[in-house]
Amino acid sequence: MGLPNVSGDFSSEMDVDAFRRLFPLRFYERHLVESIRPDARPLGRARDTTLALGAVTSTDGSALAKIGLTTMLAAIKMEVMTPSIETPDEGCIAIDFHMPPICSPLVRPGRPAEAEPVVSKQLCDTILSSGMINMKELSLISGKAAWMAYLDIYCLDADGALFDAALLSAVAAFSHLQIPVVSMNDDGRVVIISEEHQEGKDPVNKEKRKLTLSSIPFSLTSILHKKYILADPTAEEESIMDTLVTVVLDSSGRLVSLYKPGGTVLAYTSAIQDCIALTRQRVKELRNILDEAVSGMEVD
Amino acid sequence: MAGKAGATPTTYAPSPTTQKTKSLVFKNDDVDWVRPDKRGFQQCRPAFFRTGAVNAASGSAYAEFGNTKVIVSVFGPRESKKAMMYSDVGRLNCNVSYTTFATPIRGQGSDHKEFSSMLHKSLEGAIILETFPKTTVDVFALILESGGSDLPVVISCASVALADAGIMMYDLVASVSVSCIGKNLIIDPILEEESCQDGSLMITCMPSRYEVTQLTVTGEWSAPKISEGVQLCLDACSKLAKIMRSCLKESASSLEE
Repeated sequence: MGLPNVSGDFSSEMDVDAFRRLFPLRFYERHLVESIRPDARPLGRARDTTLALGAVTSTDGSALAKIGLTTMLAAIKMEVMTPSIETPDEGCIAIDFHMPPICSPLVRPGRPAEAEPVVSKQLCDTILSSGMINMKELSLISGKAAWMAYLDIYCLDADGALFDAALLSAVAAFSHLQIPVVSMNDDGRVVIISEEHQEGKDPVNKEKRKLTLSSIPFSLTSILHKKYILADPTAEEESIMDTLVTVVLDSSGRLVSLYKPGGTVLAYTSAIQDCIALTRQRVKELRNILDEAVSGMEVD
Repeated sequence: MAGKAGATPTTYAPSPTTQKTKSLVFKNDDVDWVRPDKRGFQQCRPAFFRTGAVNAASGSAYAEFGNTKVIVSVFGPRESKKAMMYSDVGRLNCNVSYTTFATPIRGQGSDHKEFSSMLHKSLEGAIILETFPKTTVDVFALILESGGSDLPVVISCASVALADAGIMMYDLVASVSVSCIGKNLIIDPILEEESCQDGSLMITCMPSRYEVTQLTVTGEWSAPKISEGVQLCLDACSKLAKIMRSCLKESASSLEE
């Protein structure tokens, strides 16, 4: 690399924004040497995170999660299905991740974003394998009726770390979920009991209004670049440095999954361990944020 | 995986059939019924706009009218698709979609395929396309929750988003609809009212210029009812445009500070 000098000369006479666009990597490396990022974060710090429960009133559970500018809206609609013969007393969860064209200039209508099926699959794997939800709690009448929980997550603004924000919103939507009280009508269909005419019908699930969430998964995506580890990257950082590591830990600190989908940097064990350590810190933060959002709901 | 059993089994929403209750709420010839949300017949829902909802876009806006919640992002002016012919004036490209959970029954939002072209037609007359030759402006809308009068809300929100993106327009485009139920005209109908209406009328207009960009009338209308409905909509549009304008002023002044 004989070039840094050249760019060094440029940078003294060049506007900062122009330098950032023309030499993005050098722009970043100059910051990294000083252990700081262009948005004034230290390397290991995630962006401000907020959570709002109950954003969509027409659903049974919903949450809006924001990590920096990345915004995710997750909502759950409960429908009834006949359980399969192998698992007569278990319900089902269907998870879908969407990137509508509003979220990023790279997504056009009719052409789904590349990341969409990838994040969708990751979410599905993580949520189902973490054991957060006991499928038996989704059962209504063994062998006859069970809940199918449709979880749809929409990316409203894409600015990096999509999976982290999507997982957070999904988990929050599940903790906000209120299962409707239902009964079986004469035709054998399961129907919501409305508050006005409750008489004569026995609710099937009077006690089971909330799911018990055991071991909630939380995640942190980091970028590996040379010897640096950047937690919670923005879209700009993801586009410049391409080696991502996503670590998912559950609330008691056990490893749920670890993704390193290729990239130009080969990760050493120590780097992976550092990523896990960063995630461990982040899980504590995220747990507090989730707890606060949930307890804020209960006060209302 | 225990959660996903091969083929998705058929499911249904456990909502009770509401057909019966509807006729109870709306006694067609009775003038005295109250609207489900206790509004007057000629009273709109409180309108809320906020710009800058999506940072990745050149301009964006979020609108909330009662339970109707939409986000509109504007991208561009940017390079037109390669297959496009050379054009002296800019192009406008619109798309409207629903989230799967927007409608009371999951996944019914795809019924409204015509919304994209209606949004396009209502906006194209207001935008000064000559200001961005050879390029395209994309207007994408996502309906987060459908609570009735979805298209008018999308159109008004889109014009705020266009203004936020700095696209030159002759005027803001405001849109309001009325439903005709029995003898009554009710403005800014909610979902339940729309589902039992006899006719619907929607106007999109540029209130400061007193020009209508789109007028759609469907269903059963008498001529005097139409002119009454049009007048009602036009008045509401000019009030709505004031709210839209004040939202834009607010965001502009907060930028200056």
